[in-house]
Order: sequence, then structure tokens, then C-alpha cells
Amino acid sequence: MAYNPKTGKGLGDLYRGDSRAMRHREWKGFRDTMYDFGRWLKCYGFMACKLGGHPILLVKAMLRYRWMLSYLTAANMIDRHTIGLRGNELRYVHEELFALVHNATINVKEILQRDEHLRPNSKKAQRLRENTVMFDEMTPSNIMWGFPTLDWMDIAMMTIGMPGEVDQQANVYYIDRIEEFGMAADVCPLPAAECGCAVVNDYPILGKTYITSTMPCDGSIGQTTFMARYFKDLPIYQITPPQRFNEPEVQEFAVHNLQGCIDFIEKNYGVKWDWDSFWENAKKYNESTQAVIDKWDINCTDYPQVCGAALSLTREYEFQGAGCMDPYLYKAQLKTTEMAKKGYEKDAAKGEKNYRHRAIVWACPAHYYTNFTYWADKCWGVKTLVDMECMLSYHMYHIGDEKQAMIDMASSYERMMMRSHTNGGYVNSLDECWKMVKKFNADMVIMYDHVSCKNVGCLHGLYEDQAREHGVHMVWIPHDLMDPRTVSRVAMRDAFNKYMTNVFREEPLDPTFVEYEDALTW
Amino acid sequence: MKDLKHLYYFESLLQDANNELVRQAQAEGKLAIGYTCFHMPEVLLNLDKCFSTRLRAPNMGSMEIATYYMCNGSCEYSRALLERAMEGNYQYLDAMAGVDLCEAMNRCMENMELLQIQDPNKKNFFWVNTDVAYSDDEASVKHTVEQLRRKLLNKLHENYGVDISDDALRAAVAEHNEVCRLITEIGEYRKLDNPTITGYEFHVITLATYVCPKYLIIDKLRETLEELKTREPDKKPNHRIKVVVVGSEIDDPDLIRLMEENGALVVADRFCYGSIPGRQEIILNDGEDVLTQICRQYLQATECPRHCAPHRVQYRYDHVAQLVKDYKADGVIYEQMKFCTYWSYERTLASHVMADEYGIPTLSIDRPYRSGNSGQLRTRIQAFVENVEIKKIKARHEAKMQEVK
Repeated sequence: MAYNPKTGKGLGDLYRGDSRAMRHREWKGFRDTMYDFGRWLKCYGFMACKLGGHPILLVKAMLRYRWMLSYLTAANMIDRHTIGLRGNELRYVHEELFALVHNATINVKEILQRDEHLRPNSKKAQRLRENTVMFDEMTPSNIMWGFPTLDWMDIAMMTIGMPGEVDQQANVYYIDRIEEFGMAADVCPLPAAECGCAVVNDYPILGKTYITSTMPCDGSIGQTTFMARYFKDLPIYQITPPQRFNEPEVQEFAVHNLQGCIDFIEKNYGVKWDWDSFWENAKKYNESTQAVIDKWDINCTDYPQVCGAALSLTREYEFQGAGCMDPYLYKAQLKTTEMAKKGYEKDAAKGEKNYRHRAIVWACPAHYYTNFTYWADKCWGVKTLVDMECMLSYHMYHIGDEKQAMIDMASSYERMMMRSHTNGGYVNSLDECWKMVKKFNADMVIMYDHVSCKNVGCLHGLYEDQAREHGVHMVWIPHDLMDPRTVSRVAMRDAFNKYMTNVFREEPLDPTFVEYEDALTW
Repeated sequence: MKDLKHLYYFESLLQDANNELVRQAQAEGKLAIGYTCFHMPEVLLNLDKCFSTRLRAPNMGSMEIATYYMCNGSCEYSRALLERAMEGNYQYLDAMAGVDLCEAMNRCMENMELLQIQDPNKKNFFWVNTDVAYSDDEASVKHTVEQLRRKLLNKLHENYGVDISDDALRAAVAEHNEVCRLITEIGEYRKLDNPTITGYEFHVITLATYVCPKYLIIDKLRETLEELKTREPDKKPNHRIKVVVVGSEIDDPDLIRLMEENGALVVADRFCYGSIPGRQEIILNDGEDVLTQICRQYLQATECPRHCAPHRVQYRYDHVAQLVKDYKADGVIYEQMKFCTYWSYERTLASHVMADEYGIPTLSIDRPYRSGNSGQLRTRIQAFVENVEIKKIKARHEAKMQEVK
């Protein structure tokens, strides 16, 4: 149901201010509606099949962990990201986001199988924990490429990161708890929520060691203090990549630190680093990375294909959450790239451009409003070509060269999500932004202005100055990453609406989609 | 107590970053090297003809322009420095030695660099931004040595012909150690039951050693130490409790004065720009590279919560508890500069740990850069003082009851 000028109905009418759920599913035409509904069934069908085998544990988990309930709303998240989409665009997003659901569902299943809180007396769970390494949310897990016999789990990603993206209210409880504990309310709500989760003892215990890090930012470093205390009875290793990672001289230190992590795992689990396994995974990483780069290249043309949050979320979770080791995510990445190539040829043959403006997204997006880019597209015709967050670790590994591979791995860690741009000096943030504007031939930058992240890392004024010098429209969209009470979705849209109306003097494509109330929705 | 003879002089030196001793040293051909963070080893900035000047923004008023560049949610200290830099107050510098330690300070330096705040006539001026290790192991030491040698020492030599030999380093360490010895000895008077120096006076003197060329101030330090040997304390102590202040950057003696005006005598200064750490001697052996020894000792002495490895966190807790014991303090005030991310986390957790596990009364506050007139802080400190006093009275009462039993 795209906007109909005769009836005055549009996408904004799907929302009700007094309800979490939408009024009804969107009518996208017979073919696309059937496809869309089929994917909805597939999503819940897959979740039911994978988790239905553990009904008691599932109920226990939902009673024990507040964050677990948020996963029930996974299909709503997909719906949010596909509002207004048709044809290929709809299919790209479904393919990409289902891969995330797939990965998350498997992870939930593994949590159910081994969590000490849920299964304190189970010997099987104990055996699984003995073979599992726990990772901090912002610590990439590529190092596990060389340990094929071990399991690993990212505990904070499953408890805080992903629920916050599925359900905008998911992290609020934890933020409140840590502020009650005494934390200043001005720190980034992501690490704050992670600390709150520790304070109320809401983390699952999944392994026998914990690997944490100093990535990607000051807040994460602070969070480490809380998490290390939470897991104080377990052996802990800290990965500490250098800050000034553009300098080749720092790599020796970075490699030494990673080698220490390998030694730590070998010692605690009685296993040996396996280069064959490492190369196998590195090859997959290279292929997957190439697929992402291909998508970017397509988006540099006049006929962009996989745009908006689907592009970034998949890469983020593929790298950060799955360590590029999830075969389903790997296949989905390759599949959507092939689909995008075909879509490009088709669109180029038609010669039709379906956008008014070409934008890149810079800085950290709001977890509670990842579908903002689709809204901007369907409401104002602003197509998001690339997102800073997905431009992480996109160098290739040198297969077969062990010494160089360790440097490659260090580079991956140094250029993990967000850190690739926010660390290492202003050139990685400022200069890189203008480089990408040029590369993607964009006329706008949607600047996610994370208010608790020092409004784009204390570079606010320099961005403003340089945007004027480059003649680029920079739209500042305030948000507070995990806390929609500070800056609501409505307020984010309002900032964009004002710019489009006052600066561009444009009319919305769908007037019903300009203002609507969605504070209650997931 | 009778006023210290040089206190007014020390205070006057704190009124301007480019104070009279800085100007005098530059007139004598010395090079002023600016820095802000403990992780840039001060002693390296005092090599040969260089002298260190730790940046402050005294009497800061509006920070509107810096707020535009860095946003209103960033550390006020960093913003104050940027504002002052844009006002031209740091144009006396011959180089700026920064560290990529916390985001706010790193960006402050980068803003300064891109906004070109340096004197355009200083053609050899250079910026340093070093990578700082996160722990104190030998790999971290090696990494720090590489960074400082490549980015700082070599640059000083290439741009200004500074002698960076081991002999020059040892001479700088000797001068540094003499200042440290004097400050340590002055600080020992805070351990007396009725101290003969206040926290405010000590902070003013310590600050002066950070912002002035050392060779120009050392005589006054010696005289002050002599004076303290015979200084008579007030017969009736004019404090109600003694506290250790722990936390982020304080370069504002008025904050210490505010605490003391409300009955909390500051007997130990475990904060950036304080003497712990920063005024401990560097002990060198003859066998090892001097720079390596210096870097190791700085990494081991840091109290910055950026070092978040569990053993470093434990070291900080234990050290605070030890300071409370050594200085016979009644409690701890954990403070942080508002918007300082590292100290937000450290203060929150440590204030629980110190109170619950070490049994030390703890006050936890955040504050703006200039906070000497804060009514809210005054109230909170008064409440803390009363709280600790009541605990002491209760403890005495319980002890008496035990004796009676």
C-alpha cells in the first residue's frame, strides 16, 4: 500500500499510536504480499523448529532473562525493514535479515543447551561449557578460525546488542539499573546497558573462559571493568589492539597481543592452533568480503541495489557476531550479491532511477531505529548507498603466509565495527567520509549524531566546517543508540523532515509517512 | 597557621599557562613542550634545552566555540583547552606532545591541529600523538618505547637539535627526581595527626611544578620545605575529617579549597595533576636502555582506568586503600570530570567496592571543570563529612560499650 493520492492512505497509516502491533500487514500487490507472508511464516517456522525441541528450557529462559522475550518479535523487525519495499529490494532485505534470524536462533539454541543458570546440574551442559569460549560483544572472534574443535559464544551480543535492534525497549531496563547503581547518565547506553545486565545478573554462563577487549571505544573499556568483575572466577584474556593502527610500526605489538590470546586458549582448553582450519575460514572471509565489496561497487552506480540497513546489519553480524564462520550467513552474503548483480543489469537496461537523493550514512546508527534508512527512502526518496558501520575489516587475508596472516588478523581487529573509523585519528573518520561521498557519488550525508558518543566523537564542528567546504548536505540525526527515551524515533524523523522541508524545499513521497507515532512499537 | 612565604607566588604562576617563568625560560632560549596526560612521560619533555608545560585553562569562562567543535557532551577540560588554544593562549608552545588515550583529549588535540592554533612563525613546531598501551607488560613497554622514540625524541632532535642521548635522559631524570623528592617530603607533612600543610596549599605547589620550568622553581620548593619543618599547626585542627581524593584531572585548587572549607582536609591527591602519581622518583639502573626504564616505570605507576586489565584494576583499589591507611584518612572522595567516560565507570564501581569490600566511607561525585563555587558540591561534601563524623562517633561509642562490658 504505497501512498494513494486518491484515498489519502499510505504507509504511515499502518501504525497506531496506542498499540505495539501494526494495524495490519502491508499490501504490496499479490505477488510480493505472498512472498512477504511466506517469509514471515518461514521466520517463525524456523524459530519454532529449532527451539521447539527445548520447550521447558525455553520457558525457563524467558522467565530468567528479560532480553530473551525480545526475540519473539523478530518478525516485526523484518516487517519494519520491509515497509514499502517491492520486487528485488524486498527480496534482498528478506534474504539478508533472515540470515540474521537464522544465526540468532542457532545461538539461542546453544545458549539453552549450555547455560549454567538454566541447567546448573546438567552434565551435558557442563561438558559443553568446558569446550566453549565466551566473547565480549565488541570483540571479534576471528581468532577462533584456528580452533575448529572449540565452540564460542558472544554473550553480550545476544543479550544486549541484538535484542536492542529487535525491540527498541529491550535495553531500557538495564540502562536504568546501572544508572541506579551510580553510573552517569551521559555515557553511551550500549556499554552502560551491558554493565546493567551484569549488575542484575542477567548474563548466561556459557563457557569456562572469557575474552574481552578494549574495543571499540572508551565506553567499552569502562564496561570491561564491570564484566571482568562479573566473570572474576574465570580466566580472562584481554585483546588490546593499538589505537593508531594506520602506522605499520604498531602491528608488531598487535600481533604479539593476539598471539597471547592464542596461547591463552591453547593453555585453557588443551588444544593446538590449526592453520588448515584457519586458512579454510580465511578463504571464506575473503569470499564474503569480496561479495560485500561487490555490493558497494554496484551501489556506486546509478542503479544501487542492496541499500539501507540490510547491507550494514548483515555485515556487522556476519563479522562481529558470527566471526565470518556461519555457513548460512556466508551463503546469504554470496547469494544476495548475485541477486544484486542481476538486479543491476535489469535496472540499468530499464534506465530508471528510483530515488531523489543519494546518501551515505556516517557514524553509529541508533540500534532502536535501524530501519530509519528505509523510512527516509520511502518517505523522501533518499536512498542510502552505504553505511559506515558495514565498512569494517574489508581487507583480504594473504592465504598461506602465516606471518602476514597474523598481521591481517590484527588489522581485522583494529578495523572492527565502528573502530575502523572512530579510532586511529581523524583521517579515518573525517577524511574517509568525504572519500566515500565522492566514491558513491552521494549528495547527502545522513550523520547519525549519537548524543552520548560526544556527537560523533568530538568532531562535530570539523564535520560542519568541512561539509560546507565540500558542498555536501549534511543532515544531523540525533539519537541515543539504545535508549529511545532520550531521542525518540519521532524526534529522529522530525530532524530529517525539517531538513528536507526547509533546506531542500521538497514534498514527501508519502505524506502519511512523515509523522506518525511508533513509540510503543517494538 | 601562618601563611607559607611563597604561596602567593605559586598561586600567581597558576593564573596563566604562559606564566612569567615560562616566558623567562623561553627568553633564555629554552623550548616549551606542551602536554596534558601522565602517559606522555614528563621527564622526556625536559631533555636538554626543553621544558615541559602541562596545559591548563585557568579562569576559563565561556567555552562556546570549543563546544561547537567538540559538542556539549564532551569533557569540559578538553573543551577548555581547545577554547583557550583558539584564543591564542598556547602560541608560546614549540611542540605539543599528545597521546591517543581518551577520545576527548585526542580529539581536542586533533581539533587544535586542524584549526592550526600554533604560532605560524614557529616553523619547527610539531604535533605528537602517541599510541598508548593498555597494560604494563613488557610488550607494552616495548611498544611505548617505539612510539616515544619515533614520534617524540627523534622529532625533537630533527626539528630542534635536542640532545636525546642516554646521558641527556639521565640528566633530565636527575632534575625530575629532585623535584619529586622535594614534593614528596613536603607531602609527608600531610601524614601528621594535625597536618602542617593543607591540601589546597599542597595542590598549588604541586601544580606549579607541572606548569613551570623546573630549574626556575626549585629554589622556592626548597625554601618551602625548610619553612614547613618549623611551621606550627593550628592548636585546634580546623578540619573535621581527612580524605583521600581519587579521580580524574583536577587542575583547580579551588575545588580542593571547597572541600576543605567544608571540613574535609585533603591529605592525599590521587588524581591527574596531583602528586600521586607523577611525583615519584624514577629509579634507573646502569644496565638497561634509559628510555625503556622510564617507560616501564610510567606504565607501572599509572592510575588511569584506561588500564582495565583485572590486575591493574585491583592495583588501583588496593592503592587507594593503602593511601587511606598511610595518610590516616577517614574516607575517600571519588571524583570525575563530567563526561569523562573512563572515570564514569571507575568511579561508579570503585565507590561500591571501596565502601562494601574495604569498609572505607566513600563519596562519589562528578563535577564541571571549574567547580570551586558549586553549591551542589558543597552540600554533598558537607553531608559526607557529617556522615563520616557520625560513623566515628558511633564507633567510639561502641568501643566504650565494649570496654564497659
